Amino acid sequence: MKRGRSITQTESSTYLNEALAIWVRDLRSEFRTRYAVNAIIMFAVTTLVAVSFSIGSFRIADDEKSFLYAVLLWIILVFSALSGLSRSFVKEQEAGTIDTLKLSARPQAVFLGKLFFNLTLLASLELIIVPVFVLLMRYPIAHPVPFVANVVIAGLGLGAGTTIVAAMIAQASTRGALFSALSFPLLLPLMIMAIKGCEQASVRLGPVGWAEVRMAFAYLVIMVIVSLFLFPLIWEE
Amino acid sequence: MYLLKVNSICKYYSRTLLFKDVSFELAGGDALAVTGWNGSGKSTLMRIIAGLIRPSSGTVSMYYQDEVVPTDSRRRFVGMVAPALSLYDELTAIENMVFFCKVRGVESREDTCRDMLRLVGLDDHAHKLSGRYSSGMKQRLKLAQALLHHPPLLLLDEPGTNLDSKGMQIVWDIIEKQKQWGMTVIASNEKREVDYADRIINLSE
Repeated sequence: MKRGRSITQTESSTYLNEALAIWVRDLRSEFRTRYAVNAIIMFAVTTLVAVSFSIGSFRIADDEKSFLYAVLLWIILVFSALSGLSRSFVKEQEAGTIDTLKLSARPQAVFLGKLFFNLTLLASLELIIVPVFVLLMRYPIAHPVPFVANVVIAGLGLGAGTTIVAAMIAQASTRGALFSALSFPLLLPLMIMAIKGCEQASVRLGPVGWAEVRMAFAYLVIMVIVSLFLFPLIWEE
Repeated sequence: MYLLKVNSICKYYSRTLLFKDVSFELAGGDALAVTGWNGSGKSTLMRIIAGLIRPSSGTVSMYYQDEVVPTDSRRRFVGMVAPALSLYDELTAIENMVFFCKVRGVESREDTCRDMLRLVGLDDHAHKLSGRYSSGMKQRLKLAQALLHHPPLLLLDEPGTNLDSKGMQIVWDIIEKQKQWGMTVIASNEKREVDYADRIINLSE
């Protein structure tokens, strides 16, 4: 008996199941097309090589290394992320699949699925770039645990911030410029916290950067909660 | 069991009127054809009924057992085929079907999806990337995707696009089955497609 079957089955579905389905689909598509990965990795590797060759570890005084390396690391991470993370929604718009997705999935599930996908991309980026940056620049890290915590939590915040901005700009005609313009004020507080946290984690004396980890975590929680409320409004017409 | 009420809807783009005062009611078993010249707003009306865009004025309400279905839920009671609605080219047909089952909360057994592909004559191409399909095969896949959750409201915007005679026969069969219990709205100017409807609304008038 097929009549009315959709109603009971729709109610039995959970947001998490739908989000996971979207995440897996995006990963599968990305694996086959390498749409965002290529953009992110190419940007990251190019800037990393340029920085390491032009500055290296020997041109900077030891007492300035902790601050300048933190700045350079986060410039590479943030701008690499900006070069590829907007694609998650833009690709749906360009391929004409966005309305099919609107008819099928609930907005919050779409946001979570896209967020999981962007976080996966960012995690891959950080796994490659951070160790290579530390090795190439001979980055002196006095407190590895808070340093890694800063990179991970601020990375999650970066993913949450760029995902909601990507959703906002997907239907605009000047997407590239708009994405950077909207992301910048949203990500600036997070960047400042992340730079300070990484700097403190690399200095032997003084605070080790846990306060910045907590602030970055608060940023992440606020960003995800606000986005879950805001996204349905963006997702509608 | 199901009822669709479209009440005096108008749509403006900027200040240009597309259509006004469109009203109708559909119950289970009803089929309506929407006709009109190019640019008369057939596809826009379909998108409004589906809940993808809002009318400038008027209301679209769906009822299930006398209770109103909220607008955001209404989309999930709709199966829609339209030229502007695409599927994922980088996924195979069966992957597309399983994905849409999962996001709609329909049990995503592969054999169920395969049955649906068989219905539209694509079971031999289930593991082929849909991006490599011909335009007619893509249209068949869209039909299969729209029917996955057995929607009470089926919206067919130019359903015969790119289809051969076998494909058209599939569309007739789908409409006939839908008319046994559900509601169907067909937007087209093709006489053969319009003939399947019980009522006609002409947006050019």
